[in-house]
Amino acid sequence: MVVVSDEGFQYLVVEHHGEIYRYLVRITGRSTDADDLSQETFLRAFRAYASGKLCGDARAWLFAIATNLMRNHFRSQKRRQRAHDAMMMRDVATEPDGASGREVGEIIEEVVAELPLKQRAAFLQRKVHGFEYDTIAKNLGCSPDSARANVFQATKKIRRALDGSAKRVDGKSSHAKEGP
Amino acid sequence: MKPLDCARIETDLAAVAADEGNAAAQRRVSAHIEHCEACRAMLDDYRNVESELAALRERRVDPGHLGQARERLEAGLADLRRRIVRYAIFASPLGNVLVARTEMGVVLVEYLRGHAARWPAMLEAEGLEPIEDEAELSSLHRDFGNYLAGRSRQLDWPVDWRLVRSDFQREVLKATAAIPYGAVVSYKRVAREIGQPKAVRAVAQALRHNPVAIAIPCHRVIGSEGTLVGYAGGKTDLKEKLLSVEGVPVERARGDYRVARDSMYVLVPGDTEYCLPSCPSAETLRSGWPTLFGSRERAESAGYRPCTTCRPDLHPLVPRRMP
Repeated sequence: MVVVSDEGFQYLVVEHHGEIYRYLVRITGRSTDADDLSQETFLRAFRAYASGKLCGDARAWLFAIATNLMRNHFRSQKRRQRAHDAMMMRDVATEPDGASGREVGEIIEEVVAELPLKQRAAFLQRKVHGFEYDTIAKNLGCSPDSARANVFQATKKIRRALDGSAKRVDGKSSHAKEGP
Repeated sequence: MKPLDCARIETDLAAVAADEGNAAAQRRVSAHIEHCEACRAMLDDYRNVESELAALRERRVDPGHLGQARERLEAGLADLRRRIVRYAIFASPLGNVLVARTEMGVVLVEYLRGHAARWPAMLEAEGLEPIEDEAELSSLHRDFGNYLAGRSRQLDWPVDWRLVRSDFQREVLKATAAIPYGAVVSYKRVAREIGQPKAVRAVAQALRHNPVAIAIPCHRVIGSEGTLVGYAGGKTDLKEKLLSVEGVPVERARGDYRVARDSMYVLVPGDTEYCLPSCPSAETLRSGWPTLFGSRERAESAGYRPCTTCRPDLHPLVPRRMP
């Protein structure tokens, strides 16, 4: 009896699971959510693959599935609240320990974590995963201009946060730690 | 060109810093920062953001968590593969027939004529996920066509037994699978084969709900008196067609079908020689629930020799003209 070759799909898992998982960790802030959502992403992808419905760019397609699942995951107000609470107890980022002591990378992560979901997704897809705006637009179901605007808004917030922290450190603002 | 004011130049600054600005944006930025120190500083800030983002890109996740997620995924995929059922609907002289298989083998063969199809519910109850896939089923389709046209003697399909309801039903189906091509036996005989000679009705029920019709040849099981009794819930005409394909003589009597037992060769259980129905050594015919063959050729290809007493090889039965 003929058995469908799964080698093609296994290749997708080997090639892309790590990146999808990292995307979902960054976007949800929780490794347990990333675990669940990356699992569901690939199970859905496998169903489509098994039905011969695999579309052209597999990587972009996986990101689109992951993004949709993630948005459904956070859809209801209740869940948004939980997502917010979850963000407060992120298990993957370093805890901030006062403005002056924080590394630039931590400030960026914190700003990203607080971005609205769509901005966060657009920003990560562009700046971390290097997708073109057209692809991001498809993944998010919006226009390329809107994708570009979302990325810009996110970048602007980061620029401001870094600017602010630099000024605070320079100016020994009241947020900076004073010696005893 | 009038330089843009500071509020409107920021998107261009961000784009240029990220190497995404087109030529026009580049020109607007150059023209603006030439005389605006604050925005020149902001361009530097955006360039700084871009270089800091490299750290975000390189930030690793906990390899332990990632490893666990990957392991769970592999387990999830293995489970999904086991649950995926590929099916196709074959048009045939028996009407439309659904054939479905898993990675283990053929799991379901169902006639789609008559009653509402039971297959979606059956598959769902087992947590199976059906996918229509004619290409994947094409070799089975070919086998099926050859079988119904009498060009091949068996559907050599591995069977996935998961829709079988009980150990009892599995025993019945396994005993049925052993009935040779072109032969028939009675329900009583199957009951005896599985060591439960009184469970004749239960055997009939088990066969009625055979999930893998044709491939497990429940059509080769008939009533003790030669009547076809039933098939797949009232589809006795299909049973007649399948038996005719195999060379079993079936006659129509008073609106019902009946296997012409006196036109068939007889094999007494446990014997290695087949006989004419009139053979004295086949006296057990009435008590022994024999296997009946439609032709010598069928009996011999199942591995049996002609009886040395009645010599069916010298006095073959005259084939009855079928209506």
